Amino acid sequence: MQGIILFVLLASTYLMVIAKRMPALIRSFRYQSLCLFGVTFIVALTQREPELYVISGLLFVLKVSLIPYLLYRIIRRIKVNEELGLFINPQISLLWALAFTYLSWIFASYLFSSNNAILTGTLAIAFFVVSAGMFLMVFRMTALSQIIGLLVMENGLFLLASTVSGGMPFFVEIAIFFDVLVSVLIMGFFVYKINKLFTHIDVNKLSRLKG
Amino acid sequence: MAIFIILGIPLLLAIAALFARKERLFGIINCCGYFAALCASVILFKETVFARYSRAFSDFIYIDLLSAVFIVVIAVVAFAAALYSIAYIGKDVGQKIISGRKARVYYLFFNLFCFSMFCVPAVNNLGMLWVAIEMTTLISAFLVGFYNSKESVEAAWKYIIICSVGIILALLGTILFSYAFSKSGLSKSLNWSDMVPVAHVLDKNILKIAFIFILVGYGTKAGLAPMHTWLPDAHSQAVAPISALLSGVLLKTAIYAILRFGIIIIKSGEFSYFSHLMILFGAISLAISCGFILVQKDLKRLLAYSSIEHVGIISIGFGLGSPLAIAGAILHVFNHAVTKSLMFFGAGNIVSAYKKHNMNAIRGVIKAMPFTGIVALLGVFALTGFPPFSIFISEIMIIMAAFTSGSYFIAALLLLFLAVIFGAFIYHFGRMLFGNLPKGVPRQGEAFSGKLVFLFLLFLICGLGVMLIFKYKDLLWLAQILLQG
Repeated sequence: MQGIILFVLLASTYLMVIAKRMPALIRSFRYQSLCLFGVTFIVALTQREPELYVISGLLFVLKVSLIPYLLYRIIRRIKVNEELGLFINPQISLLWALAFTYLSWIFASYLFSSNNAILTGTLAIAFFVVSAGMFLMVFRMTALSQIIGLLVMENGLFLLASTVSGGMPFFVEIAIFFDVLVSVLIMGFFVYKINKLFTHIDVNKLSRLKG
Repeated sequence: MAIFIILGIPLLLAIAALFARKERLFGIINCCGYFAALCASVILFKETVFARYSRAFSDFIYIDLLSAVFIVVIAVVAFAAALYSIAYIGKDVGQKIISGRKARVYYLFFNLFCFSMFCVPAVNNLGMLWVAIEMTTLISAFLVGFYNSKESVEAAWKYIIICSVGIILALLGTILFSYAFSKSGLSKSLNWSDMVPVAHVLDKNILKIAFIFILVGYGTKAGLAPMHTWLPDAHSQAVAPISALLSGVLLKTAIYAILRFGIIIIKSGEFSYFSHLMILFGAISLAISCGFILVQKDLKRLLAYSSIEHVGIISIGFGLGSPLAIAGAILHVFNHAVTKSLMFFGAGNIVSAYKKHNMNAIRGVIKAMPFTGIVALLGVFALTGFPPFSIFISEIMIIMAAFTSGSYFIAALLLLFLAVIFGAFIYHFGRMLFGNLPKGVPRQGEAFSGKLVFLFLLFLICGLGVMLIFKYKDLLWLAQILLQG
């Protein structure tokens, strides 16, 4: 069961890498978060720890419902072009993503030499999700896609933390959730401001400060 | 006990800022609050020096000598910035650049920002350390984009995005540290005080990889080149008192985080690895900042690049690792914070009088504002490491440590870059401070609280510069116990 969910998570990350328009990107982000929720919820069911239930509940409320809703709202409100401003077209992006997947696999099996294939696979997927988030931040030139890239990286780290060390301590986990929510709110606020001042959210054209 | 006062004051003031009516009166209350925090931090420092070890509030808060030093640095600069804000914000409100309501928003974020910075050295848990540092980014982004101009919003966006990515990598490093800890069969914990005693049994390979992520991640926040690109934008666009806080202490809190992990690496027996990485990043920072300082045209960006240079020097100092170098680096943290705040306050006065950042358009500052001009002149000499000011002492300590440990190449690099930067600074500031006043710039009166803050900082700079010569044995002793955790 866990393997299937992880596979869907991987697939949703590929969908994000090849997405061309904002709504598609947000939808795939929602799928990814949903998979993450599934993985955590299964662990909570098997281990019967109340803390894990709380964490998976928060994951559902924040990353599956609230944050995608906020992002959709921003798109509707600022009414800009929904194109992502691709630096690299989807086909080549997909090749990059495949290369990242392979490298993550190598890195994971170097770092955690274990015979458990599912564990190593999970770690490889976690590293891949982090690098895919980084890729989105660097090669998609709108302010909103940079926010999503950051969230994707955070998702990857959540997966990593819950597999390698059984999750962070409870209150740290809660603090990080709070932090993610606050950062999305603040970045969303700045997206409004950028749109108001510059009438676009193309980060590549923000080049007034140099030297 | 003192630590709760220090953490409580900014929080209370932040709440009070929501209800304040008169921004000028609130500015004065704010300043008194930070004076109390400063006194409390000095008491805390004294307690930790004499008790050698202190720990409060079970798991959550952990204070040792290293954190006490950083808390004092934060408290000093926060007090100076609060004092300077009274006149600066008052002037902005008076000239209708910002409204009275916006001034109260400023004080709200100022206090939250200080609170998050005080949290960084106080927490025990490495995950909470990460959260605190991320909070400093998120809150200060508002203060960078405070004036709502195109430039300041652009700077704030770059700042928030680059630092968030950097800090996510630091979280990855933190997770790997916790993995190394849980792998060695110990119970799940991210507390620094639990990790240090068992550092020698942790898996060295994982620690090494993790430390790379930590250094790149928190190094972004500390302004180490080549991850420094957000720094000149943010520092040049922020409100002047906030520029001082950003440059003086925000960068240092990130250095503090690197040191916390660095101590674990050193205790696991990988000192040379830590040392090489720190020296490498320090040297790159020095070289890059040196180039940009030479060709700089913008006053506040010039000071921002100088912060990168000083962070590089601090990083080299910690990398060298002998007691003399550590003492020098810790002193440099303090000296740079104080001196750079002085310079940013001076630059704030100059910019608000000339309404320009461009150094080619600023002439004759000493004629327009005699007090600020003379203080800025002294500040330039202090900043570039001229005796009898305190930066001279800390720089000479680091260079001496480099010579005595046989790292002649590093010592030569340091001397070369310091000499070039000295020349560049004297050239830029000589042209700005002297010369004829351009038309349309009247002679300016200066507020009393504005003058007071300069005197306070100058007193610290000169006082330390003279006093330290007689006190260096105590310093070495401090440095020796500093890195023992």
